[in-house]
Amino acid sequence: MAADKTDGKEHVHNRIAVLRAERGVSRRELATALGVHYQTIGYLERGEYSPSLHLALRIAGFFEVPVEVVFSLAPFPRLGSTS
Amino acid sequence: MTWGDTMVRERWERRRQAALQRDMLPSWYATRRRRRTLAAAGLAALAMIWAATAVSWNLAPSDTAMAVSLPLLGLSVVVMLPVVTLLNVATRGSMSLAERLLDERQVAERLRSFTVAHRVMLGILVVLAVVVLSTDTEDVPMASVALGVVGLFETHMLLPVLVAGWRQADPPPGDEEDEDL
Repeated sequence: MAADKTDGKEHVHNRIAVLRAERGVSRRELATALGVHYQTIGYLERGEYSPSLHLALRIAGFFEVPVEVVFSLAPFPRLGSTS
Repeated sequence: MTWGDTMVRERWERRRQAALQRDMLPSWYATRRRRRTLAAAGLAALAMIWAATAVSWNLAPSDTAMAVSLPLLGLSVVVMLPVVTLLNVATRGSMSLAERLLDERQVAERLRSFTVAHRVMLGILVVLAVVVLSTDTEDVPMASVALGVVGLFETHMLLPVLVAGWRQADPPPGDEEDEDL
């Protein structure tokens, strides 16, 4: 699978915002649980920062899902789409 | 260092960290444009010190040199203090706190800003070396040497936070409140 590149930078897509909304977790709560600054969660959700493998695994661990459920090199299909 | 010293230092660092998370005049650095204006004001303040150095180099010792250099230095301090304080708050202490108090994104941003500042500083040193080597340095006034040292110190110390303020992207909307579930 080819990495999605935006402005020459490798871009990792994520579903943190969706998972956070589904579980009713605020950015601050997630940030506190992960030991990062709350703004970092916002930058992650906007795709302006790609996490280290360690942080990605901890995010997946927090939501108790495999890491590929949260992160992907290809855009996630939109809800309701058939593909 | 004793255990007591470590505790005092740790407590001081934590207090600084907490203080830098509290907004101070947030409208001054709320947008990228305003942060860049602050960074530009900081650069102008640094330029004032270098201008005072140049004036002293050419005119000291004289009343004219004093009349120009001292107000420039004073104005530089008056501009620099609020600019650095506000940019430190805007970057949430990424440039000033101990690394163990930052997360991986903040550490990465700090490294990028230090890298850019290092390159700019290298350029300044090259220009300075060319200027000093190409001019007559037999009767250089001590005042201009002292101002030059102050200029070098301040430029080296403050460039990272100015670069960080210039580069910082706008924080995601709704970050400041927890209404973003």
